[in-house]
Amino acid sequence: MKIEKVVSVLALAILVCSACSGITVAAAGEEKVVKFTGDVPGGDWGHPSPFGFYPRGPGYIRMSFGFDTLTWKDRDGAVIPWLADSWEMSEDGKAWTFQLHEGVKWHDNKPFTAEDVQFTFDYIKEQQAAFKWFQAMSYIDHVDVMDDHTAVIYLNEPFAPFLMDIAGNIPIIPKHIWQDVSDPGKFTGAEAVIGTGPFKLVEYNRAQGYYEWAANDDYFKGKPVIDRLLSISVNDPAAALTTGDIDETAFWGRRAKAVAAFENNPDFSQRWGPSYWVLQVIFNCEKYPTNLTAFRKAVAYGINRTEIVEQVVHGYGIPANTGIIHPDISKWYNPSLPDYEHNVTKANEILDSFGFTDSNNDGIREYPTGEDLEFELLTIEKFVREAELIKSQLAEVGIKISVKVMDISTSDTILKEGNFHMVISGHGGIANPNIMQFPDWPGTSCQNETYTALFKEQRETMNATARKELVYQLQELVAENLPVYTLYHPKMCCVYRPDKLDTWFFTKGGVGIGIPIEMNKLVFIGEAAPTTVKKPTATSTPTAAAPTTTPSSIPTQVPKQPGFEMVLAIAGLLVVAHLVLWRRKKE
Amino acid sequence: MHQITKITGYIAIILIVLSFNFFLPRLMPGDPLSFLTGDPSMDMPIVLDEETRAKLLVYYGLDKPLLQQFADYMHNILHGDLGWSIYFNAPVSEILIGRLKWTLLLLGTATALYMTFGILLGAISAWNRGKKRDVGLLVSLLSIGSFPPFFLGMLLIILFCVNLQLFPLFGAKTPFMRYSSPLDEATDILYHLVLPVTTLVICYIGDVYLLMRNSMLNVIGEDYIVTARAKGLSEWYILRKHAMKNALLPITTMIALRVGFMISGMIFVETVFAYPGVGRLLFDAVTYRDYPLLQGAFLVITLVIIAANFVADIIYVRLDPRLQHN
Repeated sequence: MKIEKVVSVLALAILVCSACSGITVAAAGEEKVVKFTGDVPGGDWGHPSPFGFYPRGPGYIRMSFGFDTLTWKDRDGAVIPWLADSWEMSEDGKAWTFQLHEGVKWHDNKPFTAEDVQFTFDYIKEQQAAFKWFQAMSYIDHVDVMDDHTAVIYLNEPFAPFLMDIAGNIPIIPKHIWQDVSDPGKFTGAEAVIGTGPFKLVEYNRAQGYYEWAANDDYFKGKPVIDRLLSISVNDPAAALTTGDIDETAFWGRRAKAVAAFENNPDFSQRWGPSYWVLQVIFNCEKYPTNLTAFRKAVAYGINRTEIVEQVVHGYGIPANTGIIHPDISKWYNPSLPDYEHNVTKANEILDSFGFTDSNNDGIREYPTGEDLEFELLTIEKFVREAELIKSQLAEVGIKISVKVMDISTSDTILKEGNFHMVISGHGGIANPNIMQFPDWPGTSCQNETYTALFKEQRETMNATARKELVYQLQELVAENLPVYTLYHPKMCCVYRPDKLDTWFFTKGGVGIGIPIEMNKLVFIGEAAPTTVKKPTATSTPTAAAPTTTPSSIPTQVPKQPGFEMVLAIAGLLVVAHLVLWRRKKE
Repeated sequence: MHQITKITGYIAIILIVLSFNFFLPRLMPGDPLSFLTGDPSMDMPIVLDEETRAKLLVYYGLDKPLLQQFADYMHNILHGDLGWSIYFNAPVSEILIGRLKWTLLLLGTATALYMTFGILLGAISAWNRGKKRDVGLLVSLLSIGSFPPFFLGMLLIILFCVNLQLFPLFGAKTPFMRYSSPLDEATDILYHLVLPVTTLVICYIGDVYLLMRNSMLNVIGEDYIVTARAKGLSEWYILRKHAMKNALLPITTMIALRVGFMISGMIFVETVFAYPGVGRLLFDAVTYRDYPLLQGAFLVITLVIIAANFVADIIYVRLDPRLQHN
């Protein structure tokens, strides 16, 4: 009868458990907590130290809560002073003098000085392999310290996007901590996250994908408007918003469909932003017949992008700029490019002119040699619907497509090896002309010297108007030669509970080097709410400086519903009763 | 003697698996570096220049000849070092332990429950063969068991988390909970465990139930059951002591085999409930071509399977006294 005893003891234990757990942790006073989740399911973006985060947007953002850069971007994408109060460029564009803000302190209370700036650039240059986020450090020559609060950064060549891509991107790290670290990638202690930023990391849980930050009350740009910031991993952000497990999340592309459910709910507000992301068909420019520019144009005319936007992203996107740069960025966007609007007649004309005709009337054109005009369209699982749609659209002009789905590393390898005709792939960062370096990235088949030289020239042209002209030319080259045919730019929407925090905004041009997400640290340090609120809600008190808006006392944890304990208790009781009855019956 | 052959057998298996774990990931197209700077289909293109790429290859030891890498890998494994994950930028053992405890908890609870209920219900079904109870059990278990796990999980979430708000929506613990006592923490973990375990149990109970039912039907026809009845023993006693014990033999083997599949098969449940398990990790590791992590994860799964087989062997011997005498 041992087993029965064990069972009844267990049942009792469960009962006791459920009785005790009634006392959940009480709310911690007036603390203001905001919980968010990323736009992609899964919340782990790496240890938020400058060498520990996974080198992608959400990872950089999480790191940027703890670390600051010399400059930063405001909501309009303008460069604003941050750790540096002011700066000056030398005549030749090769030396930048930064006046640093005085009185800035590291999280461990040591003062921040120009030494730290010098150290940061030296260290990252030296540890380039460990700092995977940015690869143009070769432009940095060296950094001089003039006095405690003046540093001069010397470049090898003028670098036009310096203020944004280097000064506004490279996190400044404390010399007194990192100078003794020989392998920064493996340095993950509490000291590795000491920065100057608005938040101090309290906890990072890799397995569960959780981050917890506490406000840095001594922040030199002002105390954050919230006390705690939590990043949580959930699988279904829409459900988690409804249940109150999170206060903010963003949806993009076809997932933006979920936004509709929150539209008429007064508890939620939403803001729309561009994702600075593009999906494109990459052509192989070295393989017949996709090496023929006119042929690529025929394919472009055959593709109906409006239909793709409607059918696949449910209208939450716009047909893309054929020159890659996002139309939202008026600074760089070239509006006068051909867009190859869906035109079956034109596509047919071009294909006919090559002698690709349908001689056996099976609906598929043949090469002059008699073989079918047939291609594989490679893609990954995420873009199968786009691929299937393109397949049916190109069937109308007599091109036979077979969609081949593979995993991303495989398609990446194929792109690099050049063993393909067409691939559907996408990438972000299209607010920054830097993206134009390899238009068919990650492929390499369409690189030519004119283009590369032009790219390099714009990167080193300090005159804004002249540079814009060069960026325009780059876009023209892409739109005319079509190494890639861009399909669409998805939209992005953040949905949030305005009573928790109402200052969310999408940074024009993206945070840092172009991260599209709404997590600019300015959101948390009391920047007034932006004017472009899409749908003002009844409950949100407009304007009024964010910190003072009803610091509602939010319980640290929502107390558990009694339901679960009840279920357990009843189950336990049942087990015990059953055992007792059963034993009696036996006797 | 028998024990020694068995142990040598296990060691041989582990060695073979270790080599497979090393070479198989490297046969897949792509390498860990292509994913290091972002998903090439999704993220911002951060292009590694050749110099950095070369440095990284050296850093991760991927520049050495394959056989040298293999020797290093074996050497490190034998010294208990599973290496450093390239994507996660952390020790493989740390990542695995962080996930494995949750997998084992989920897997252990689910296995214990679906075994117990599957065996019990199977036995009851067979005992009442052809009666209403048997047909009812058969139909209901097979029909709910044929739900795909992720669909069932989503149904449970919508019903119990979103509508009734009875159970937590995601995770293995409430995030950032400051527990007042270990008991409190245990309850919280239990509370998060309910729905994932329910999903797993419902999805896996069908097979056990069917196997047990068939196995019982064979046993019931045996002479010793007739003898037991003739002795005037109660039906429940016969069921428990005579029929079930004999019918359990094939189940033990099945469970042991199942454990291995379940670790990776739990990926759907892990995804739907955002439960931090090894299944999802394995999926990511394959996607990222993270060789050290793949090697470590495969090794751990192998060890769990071997352990499960070992336990099954022991149970088998205990269940079947005939084996003890050999």
